[in-house]
Amino acid sequence: MYGLKFPHSARTREIRFVLNGSETSVRVPPGYTLLETLRYVLRMTGTKEGCARGDCGECTVLVDGVPVHACLTLMSQVEGRSVLTVEGIDRQHRLIRAFVEEGAVQCGHCTPGIVVAAYHLLSQVPRPTEEQVREALRGNLCRCTGYVKIIRAVLKAGEA
Amino acid sequence: MQHLADVEVYSVRTLREALELLSSVKGLRVIAGGTDLIVQLKTGVVPKTNLLDVSRVDELRYVRFEDGILRIGALTTFMEIYRSELVRRHAPLLAEAAFTVGSFQIMNKGTIGGNIVNASPAADSLPPLYALNAELKIVGPRGERFVRIQDFYKGYKKLDLMADELVAEVRIRPPGEGYVGHFFKHGLRRGDAIAVVNGAVLLRLSPEGIVRDARVALGAVAPTVVRSPSSERVLVGSRLSPEVMWRAAEAVVNDISPIDDVRGSAAYRRELSVNYVFMTLYRIARETGVVA
Amino acid sequence: MTAQRAVGAPVARRDAFEKAVGAAKYASDLFLDDMLWVAVLRSKYPHARIRRIDTSKAESHPNVVAVFTHRDVPVNRYGLFKKDRPVLCDDKVRYIGDPIALVAAETREDALEALKLIEVDYEPLPPVTDPIEAMRPDAPKVHDDGNICREVHLRLGDVDGAFARADVIVENTYRTGAQIHAYLETEAGISYMEDGKIVVVAGGQSPYRDRAEIAHALNLPEEMIRVVTPYVGGAFGGKDDITVQIHLALVTWKTGRPARLVWSREESMMAGTKRHPAIIKIRTAATRDGTILANKIEIVLDKGAYTALGPAVLDVAVENCNGPYRVQASQIDAYLVYTNNMVASAFRGFGAPQVIFAIERQMDLLAKKLGMDPLELRLKNALRKGDRYVFGNVLEGSVGIAQCLEVARSHPLWRSRGRNSCEWPWLRRGVGVAAAMKGYTIGALPDKGVVALELLRDGRVLVKGSFTEIGQGVIQAVAQIAADLLGVSVDDVEVVFADTEVTPDTSVTSASRQLFLAGNAVREAVEALRERVAELEGRLSGRRPARVEFSGGWVFIDSERRYSLQELARLLESTGLGRQVLGVYEVPRVEPLPGTLEIPHLFYMFGVTLAEVLVNLLTGEVTVSKVVSIVDAGRVINPITFTGQVEGAVAQGIGFALMEDAKIRDGYLLTRDLSTYLIPSSKDVPEIEVIPVETEEAEGPFGAKGIGEIGIISVAPAILNAVADATGVEPNAIPLTHERLYWLLKEHGLVEQLRRAST
Repeated sequence: MYGLKFPHSARTREIRFVLNGSETSVRVPPGYTLLETLRYVLRMTGTKEGCARGDCGECTVLVDGVPVHACLTLMSQVEGRSVLTVEGIDRQHRLIRAFVEEGAVQCGHCTPGIVVAAYHLLSQVPRPTEEQVREALRGNLCRCTGYVKIIRAVLKAGEA
Repeated sequence: MQHLADVEVYSVRTLREALELLSSVKGLRVIAGGTDLIVQLKTGVVPKTNLLDVSRVDELRYVRFEDGILRIGALTTFMEIYRSELVRRHAPLLAEAAFTVGSFQIMNKGTIGGNIVNASPAADSLPPLYALNAELKIVGPRGERFVRIQDFYKGYKKLDLMADELVAEVRIRPPGEGYVGHFFKHGLRRGDAIAVVNGAVLLRLSPEGIVRDARVALGAVAPTVVRSPSSERVLVGSRLSPEVMWRAAEAVVNDISPIDDVRGSAAYRRELSVNYVFMTLYRIARETGVVA
Repeated sequence: MTAQRAVGAPVARRDAFEKAVGAAKYASDLFLDDMLWVAVLRSKYPHARIRRIDTSKAESHPNVVAVFTHRDVPVNRYGLFKKDRPVLCDDKVRYIGDPIALVAAETREDALEALKLIEVDYEPLPPVTDPIEAMRPDAPKVHDDGNICREVHLRLGDVDGAFARADVIVENTYRTGAQIHAYLETEAGISYMEDGKIVVVAGGQSPYRDRAEIAHALNLPEEMIRVVTPYVGGAFGGKDDITVQIHLALVTWKTGRPARLVWSREESMMAGTKRHPAIIKIRTAATRDGTILANKIEIVLDKGAYTALGPAVLDVAVENCNGPYRVQASQIDAYLVYTNNMVASAFRGFGAPQVIFAIERQMDLLAKKLGMDPLELRLKNALRKGDRYVFGNVLEGSVGIAQCLEVARSHPLWRSRGRNSCEWPWLRRGVGVAAAMKGYTIGALPDKGVVALELLRDGRVLVKGSFTEIGQGVIQAVAQIAADLLGVSVDDVEVVFADTEVTPDTSVTSASRQLFLAGNAVREAVEALRERVAELEGRLSGRRPARVEFSGGWVFIDSERRYSLQELARLLESTGLGRQVLGVYEVPRVEPLPGTLEIPHLFYMFGVTLAEVLVNLLTGEVTVSKVVSIVDAGRVINPITFTGQVEGAVAQGIGFALMEDAKIRDGYLLTRDLSTYLIPSSKDVPEIEVIPVETEEAEGPFGAKGIGEIGIISVAPAILNAVADATGVEPNAIPLTHERLYWLLKEHGLVEQLRRAST
């Protein structure tokens, strides 16, 4: 746990959850967000912070299989649940391949959150329409790509 | 920015435990999805306080149709509401609104009970609930009681809810045959955006195109969501012609009191309210074949 | 002996995979054991004198290690053009983001809490927030030497004569807003001591320049500082200036400990730089047949509180304000004015989006007055290669504007103009066109870049340069260029970037010219390697070869002998000649026009945007339903990264045109998050068709030219021209928010008209 120090005023408790398939236990303040825990405590930095208030979608993770903002999820809400982050997605997944091949990645900071959101979409709707992709990603901001290649990549992964 | 590292969070699994803690521990604030509250705590809009996390009270997460009433548990998320066949059948207005509550990530986490108690005048779920004459089931140490959604709000963020009570269920009696309506929302972006104005229009039309019942609700234009009796009066008994639609739309200004904020001026909100009611009436008229 | 042709191939980016799986590390992803968390106290007021700063309570807060103020900064002013920006404010605060103190604590939370314990005794001063008011002599002074940071006055050709013989004169005033970069990764970095040096790893655009700024502020030799720029989560010019670097270096230097500073989104919105808001007045003289005779142009840029890169932005605005046209005469008066607003500096387009918005709206208004087709008017006046531009410079580089306009003219979208049936009675459809130009390179300013090329022992190639990977894909493009020049597979080219300890100074990554610069430096490096092979051969055989060619992983010498690159590496090493060469490229330039810094450029980018919009008359909402971006691309090195750059620029242009409304009242920013400052989402950016018009930039590597900025420049005017086409209303200010357009539509009676028509 890399010795992250908690503030002098902190209250902590043991929180158990399943992270990318593994039983995990962390001692953190229950008021910590999942994002703070992932990045600061566990130093799993694939999940990015863009705004810390649910406006950008960068920190999208799956909790019990549905995409949510890690920045708007308290650790108390994670207790006993199952969390999937970008690190838990198979690196050979067709979605990753499509993102690389279609040039959907530029600065790449929004990419993990978008990959997680799109991964979930494809699990629900294997062959989504362009409109469905745009809706599913409407909360994932990207400042580099204009979304064109991101949408193309998700559609391509959906055709596979 | 506030941090929440020193906040105590009580996690409960049952409604009973929740009510017990609310009665025994003072100053607890209830957190459900937390999509509004966490931001408000971190930005200091809401003073930092200990929390009662009810997000795992699964008995409050359901959509049921019993005794002719659609019942939605307070912890049902907007995604669940949007996807519910029962909601689509009995309260399609609410399904439409649920789809516009922020991003999918917000829809997956935000709950209808949280939206109601957060009491933002711009809350997307509220205009449909006003138009549908929804009722809230409130539970507390003194038992349960029912309150009409209109009566639940006493003013800006003022609720008919005691500190030891919880909103447990939303009840909607389906309006019945012949009703058509739509939710509308004006955001400053097509993606995830907070409403500058939102609302719902629900009409019952006779086969000849005469309005038999009209319910017009508007959000983000007053301290609470409001119904527009002035507009409804113009509509009831009239044939849905463009002229009537405009007159009914313009009547809404009698019932709203918008303010200026960062998303728009009061004057613009007034115009949008009128124009959206017109556009929604027109859409209904076209869908029902009243206008071409 | 042709190379492998990596250039021009749609090769997938080498950094895409590690970014997509979340493995790539950005500055904000770095944590060090025992590091201090740094937080910045920022000004509460847009303008105030600081009477006293008391940090004692903060210092005694638990877990706080140190609190720093201006007293701790050896040289408390920095800045690229003028050292006017305090590292930590001393006498005054000049905008709401101005930094006053730093807290370094063992925990993030305690750092935040301690900020609240710092007592600052302010004497609020009247702020000046309107640049026009700020120019008045009696306005409150932001800096002691007055509010005009810089002014440019040019009289080019016979302006009075042109106006005297004009058939038509059109005059309008245009305004553009304070666009915020809103990159997804905020300003971020860490710092630590290593071998007696301060190491700063931070999101930035130019490690050598950042190093110089840190060294100056800390009064240390540059050699004592190492700056590393890892992958950057977006920059667009907003990380061209110093952000976290000096603060981090100060904390580590004073405490000896590692430190981390990452701005919150709110901090990024307030303390980060902005696009200069502009007020531009244009008076155009033209003949009846549509020949533009002259423009009188007045430009006022709101500088905000500090100079930053403003002087160069002003020059770019001046240079491009006449648009890509054969204008015979122009009078330009331009002012860069300090206010107590947030600091403006570099942002994609660097002054050009503002002036091109103005001149391209002006062109449509002129066309309307002349009764001409707006595209024909542009084509009639379009610059051609070899033309003398208004500054007297001959355009010797590629000038593809006429070709771009011709592509636009025959595009189905343009031909569909006027076919305007819509689904609902309150919708109106329109199509608009606008042209763009901007000089790339840093013009008349000196600019030299160096890259190192190392032949690895296994025969692969390593290119080292200080260029930064801010998302644009320069690393991929450099690899492709090196691969073709050396005749190796692109996978056999390694690239190391942006580390002052390891990579030579390839100058700054800005002004759409890093590929041009680095690519040419790689070419020079390959020449140097060729020279070294010749020397090697001279030593080995006693005869200098006439020809040295690289191909297929071999070097061929006079078609007689060949070595594998692996063998060549061994020979270079064993003979002591060395496996590494440097390539130095100095960008050609001319002397600046008197009174300017960097005018003119030798190299210009050109482009044309077509936009289709739907306007809702009852809400003022503009939906962009299609954009075609036609770019004079020179030679495209990688079609994927090329179109990606243009698509992203178009999206930012849509935001600039319609949505991105930084609401600033009396110097206070009201839109401090991404829920009130809206950038386009997946539902706001339509289908974008990118059409490269491949001209040849003779000076560019493989004929390539800069393209990073051109895609944004004509988006806003194309959209507003489309709105005018749809509604007949002529909006001249951006962002054209729903509310702004609604009132214009209402003022022009369109709402009432609709109502009358429907009843």
